[in-house]
Amino acid sequence: MNETSTDINHELTLDANATAGLLHEIFGVEMTAAPTECANCGNEAEVGTLLAFTHGPGFVLRCSACEHIVLRVVETPEAIYLDARGAVYLRLARSRNKPLENDALGG
Amino acid sequence: MRQPLDWQIATLKDVKPETAKVKSFTFTLPNWIQHRAGQHYDLRLTAEDGYQAQRSYSIASEPEQEGEIDLTVERIEDGEVSTYLHDVLVPGDRLEMRGPIGGYFVWEATFIPEPLVLIGGGSGVVPLMSMIRHRAVAGSQVPTRLLYSVRTFEDIIYFNELEKLRADGSGLEVFYTLTRSQPPNWNGYNRRIDDQMLKELIKPFDKSAQVFICGPTLLVEAAANSLVKLGLPVAQIRTERFGPTGA
Repeated sequence: MNETSTDINHELTLDANATAGLLHEIFGVEMTAAPTECANCGNEAEVGTLLAFTHGPGFVLRCSACEHIVLRVVETPEAIYLDARGAVYLRLARSRNKPLENDALGG
Repeated sequence: MRQPLDWQIATLKDVKPETAKVKSFTFTLPNWIQHRAGQHYDLRLTAEDGYQAQRSYSIASEPEQEGEIDLTVERIEDGEVSTYLHDVLVPGDRLEMRGPIGGYFVWEATFIPEPLVLIGGGSGVVPLMSMIRHRAVAGSQVPTRLLYSVRTFEDIIYFNELEKLRADGSGLEVFYTLTRSQPPNWNGYNRRIDDQMLKELIKPFDKSAQVFICGPTLLVEAAANSLVKLGLPVAQIRTERFGPTGA
């Protein structure tokens, strides 16, 4: 698969927010406010900043700074496949009810 | 405890036409969870043969509205879900929904009171309206400027309510830009959102503004890039792209 940014159709780009429901399903917590780091350029930001491409059979989330692939997800009737090699880490909050500190703007 | 991701059966309570192509739908939820302004719900339709179509729609109502939510939806000509909502669903009908979903594109009146800049294109104004309604109900005085881009005057959603709220003395300012045609004596903007417009928009707030941009992808990207060029830190700009115009 071509992982360079030359194949990006910018008009079809969405934000990771558009995939928030499935991400929540996979990880068991709200993920768009979760911090992550791009394995390609080191950009650290919330998952919600990632660019989402949802028109394929799965979806692809790319770094908003360098446009490299951070996460790939494909759903089949039996399972969900997650390819997270583009992320150095994903920070999953333990508590579902208490907002993260970094949830607050300017906080 | 019920989690936002559990599907539940919502009942349509009321439908309100907003513009020729846009309606607001009020749903009552058996397992209502208070949302945060900017969040969305997933809707799922299942055909008799098992085929499913799922879409996400932003919540338009304020979190303080208990037990029910309003979704404002634009009718997309070849849309599987929006056409069903617009053309088929009537009050009393039931629908599968889950939510509230999302935690990134949200604003709460309890946040540090930095000035708020909201930029919406077309139905991209919907999650911003939830923030504006929440701001009003919570009695927030945070200086807030909304820049709202639509094609024609008739396409403005929530016009009467926005006009009322901007006059309530709480510090909400509303700027419209009509990109295709303007009524006689129109004194708002009449072009696509550009650098000059954004410069005027953020000027009173300098670089302290917290920005939320929602609309068609190209509008969102152009506005976000312009604001970064104007010196606004990337971390203060949150975006929600809708995809191609009219899709």
